[in-house]
Amino acid sequence: MEIRRVPAGHWVGRFAAMASPCELLLDGGDRAGMERALARVAKEAWRIESKFSRYRYDNIVHRINSARGRPTEVDEETALLLDFAETCYRLSEGRFDITSGALRAVWRFDGSDRIPEPRAVAEVLRRVGWKKLSWRKPILTMPDGMEVDFGGIGKEYAVDRCFKLLRAETQWPFLLNFGGDLRASGPRASGEPWRIGVEDPTMQQPGAARIELRQGAMATSGDSRRYLVRDGRRYSHILDPRSGWPVAGAPRSVTVAAPTTIEAGMLATLASLQGENAEDFLKRQQVPYWVLR
Amino acid sequence: MQLKREGEGQGSIRQALALAACSLLGGGASAQAADTPWEIDSAVLLYSEADGRVSAIEPVATARKEIREDEFVQLKVVVDALTGASPNGATPSDEVQTFTRPSGTGVYTADPGETPLDDTFRDTRGAVSLSWDRPLGRLQRRTLGVGISREFDYTSLSANGQLSRDINHRNTTLSAGASLAADFIHPVGDIPTPYAVMVPPDQPQPRDTDIDDKLTLDLLFGVTQVLGHDTIGQLNYSFSLASGYLNDPFKILSVVDGVSGKTRDYLYEKRPDSRQKHSLYGELKHFLGGDVVTAAYRFYSDDWGVISHTVDLRYRWNLNRENYLQPRLRWYSQTAADFYHHSLIAGEPLPEYASADPRLAEYDATTIGLKYGHRIDAGSEWSLRVELYRQDGVDHPDDAVGLQRNLDLFPETKAIIIQAGYRFRW
Amino acid sequence: MRRWTALGLMLIVVSGCSSLGVKPWQRGVLARPDMALAAESLDAAYDDHIYFSKEASSGGRGFAGGGCGCN
Repeated sequence: MEIRRVPAGHWVGRFAAMASPCELLLDGGDRAGMERALARVAKEAWRIESKFSRYRYDNIVHRINSARGRPTEVDEETALLLDFAETCYRLSEGRFDITSGALRAVWRFDGSDRIPEPRAVAEVLRRVGWKKLSWRKPILTMPDGMEVDFGGIGKEYAVDRCFKLLRAETQWPFLLNFGGDLRASGPRASGEPWRIGVEDPTMQQPGAARIELRQGAMATSGDSRRYLVRDGRRYSHILDPRSGWPVAGAPRSVTVAAPTTIEAGMLATLASLQGENAEDFLKRQQVPYWVLR
Repeated sequence: MQLKREGEGQGSIRQALALAACSLLGGGASAQAADTPWEIDSAVLLYSEADGRVSAIEPVATARKEIREDEFVQLKVVVDALTGASPNGATPSDEVQTFTRPSGTGVYTADPGETPLDDTFRDTRGAVSLSWDRPLGRLQRRTLGVGISREFDYTSLSANGQLSRDINHRNTTLSAGASLAADFIHPVGDIPTPYAVMVPPDQPQPRDTDIDDKLTLDLLFGVTQVLGHDTIGQLNYSFSLASGYLNDPFKILSVVDGVSGKTRDYLYEKRPDSRQKHSLYGELKHFLGGDVVTAAYRFYSDDWGVISHTVDLRYRWNLNRENYLQPRLRWYSQTAADFYHHSLIAGEPLPEYASADPRLAEYDATTIGLKYGHRIDAGSEWSLRVELYRQDGVDHPDDAVGLQRNLDLFPETKAIIIQAGYRFRW
Repeated sequence: MRRWTALGLMLIVVSGCSSLGVKPWQRGVLARPDMALAAESLDAAYDDHIYFSKEASSGGRGFAGGGCGCN
């Protein structure tokens, strides 16, 4: 973790979690206060990471994914996330599905032209689909071979959890930024907005965008480096779990602003899943958004 | 803002999401660790030496629980039931040999040409240890532990502590630890006087005291290093200083005629009252196409003159998600302690220290084994390991005299080790 | 090709420099239980006990130990 005071006058602290650089910007207080706040935030982010990472073998996700058809009793926090995932599945009419991770076995978005065989996709698709599992709090029963992955909501959830913790502990304005998913408690002490540089997802322009945020959250869906090209056709890495194939016409990235990070992130994801209709979908939601095509 | 007609169904998604987010984030997600399960690791070991020597059965269970976030307590219970006979240090002879039991009452014998074995051993050991492992800040951990081990004639108390610190983006872990143990020995029939001659039973026995003790200090310094995405290595240096009563009260030496090799007397052994050990241990683990290769080497040296090399190789062959087979080969070679003598020559001046304990002789040992493991689910697994252990020493040393030249002077140990384990969450 | 299609009230885009990216790090295979240095800790403890009682050397992996009258 590193802490420094930037010329703009606020503290910036950094750490790494969930495969992303994470930042806390705190406008006020002394170094010790900043250290405490950063430690609190990092600890919570790491807790969530270790609890919900699918790269670990000692957490609830692994327990669920290796239950092999047997029921798994989950704790309260996991139950809340499963409830949320179920709501998103329903709202998106099956487009958002935390069981779609199995498709990774056939789709590797590495910029190559390796499109999987339709037969292979169909085979994997048999192990995908929220409606194939039974979720009755606190018991989750999932057919053998299926897996759940909280990767689609984990980082946003972590921002909101850390936000809540820190909000109760400091009265200084702050902003959390976990790999581009942001949430601010309010404008800076001077009344100015927070200014944050964001990476240009296309990597085409060295000096990309900088955004200003006063209050609320912002999250992005999409990663322009993950795609496949075959016969001049570009396949985005946004997969439709209903078909097992990439969504046609998915934007390169969608950024949405909302009161909480998890709402912003989910709206951005659902918009991407709409493909060509992403902009229409976002307009109907009446949220501020940016779409990069 | 006007909503398009066909989008009316989806227009409410934002509100529905806001509601869902509210119940997700409003909930008490802080309740964790309270319901973490106990991780139980249990096993039974059967150890059996050839020719009716020592056999042991040793059940072990550890129970570990995360009591707070990233903070663990572990309880370990060991029971060790031992029976059988052990070489007493005397050399074989061409006559029937008769030895006084350590208790001073009764005798045991060895036939001509046979390695003399003390069949007195029948003991049960119980040990309990407790450790507490917690983070200290973000990059450091601290482990504290205490233990007690109790057998009929032996008691050991120990306490240890270890600190570790991650550096270099958590690719390197440095650790340092210390352990202090106090052992008390109180054999039946008391502690024999070193170099005293063994006398027949029911006579006044040459005994010093009824109880003696030793103190052991251990220091351990280690580095763990990530060596690429599929390899991890470890290097430890450990130092151990023991002082106090380091003899084995059940071990004797034969005093033989310098020409015929016939046994004249038996003396109780005498070792130095301190011992310093140094060891350097390296281990590499490499992930190889779904399997795991582990290679370890230890160099050991102490101020008793023992130098040893140990190589331990294991290959975990992951047959599939649930099953693995793990062949293992361990090779060990040690030099003799400076004061090791298979026997002493009558009439020659006694050396300052002497022991005929075959464990202090020069020998090589190999272990070959196979382990099979079956994973039931994420937290549970059972396993079975079978290993054969064999020591090979110098049966006919150059300094054997008279009839000793025709006898095996190194009582090699051959043993089978069977271990059944079961790990589960509770 | 690039097209920013909307602007929000809370957020405005200004020019500036990039400071955040994603550097994926994964513990990958090193996180596997069978790659842990302390894997099979019960086996190791048994071995330490057996070889402590049958050989002159001890220690290395952990404390040289003892705690029993077996050596």
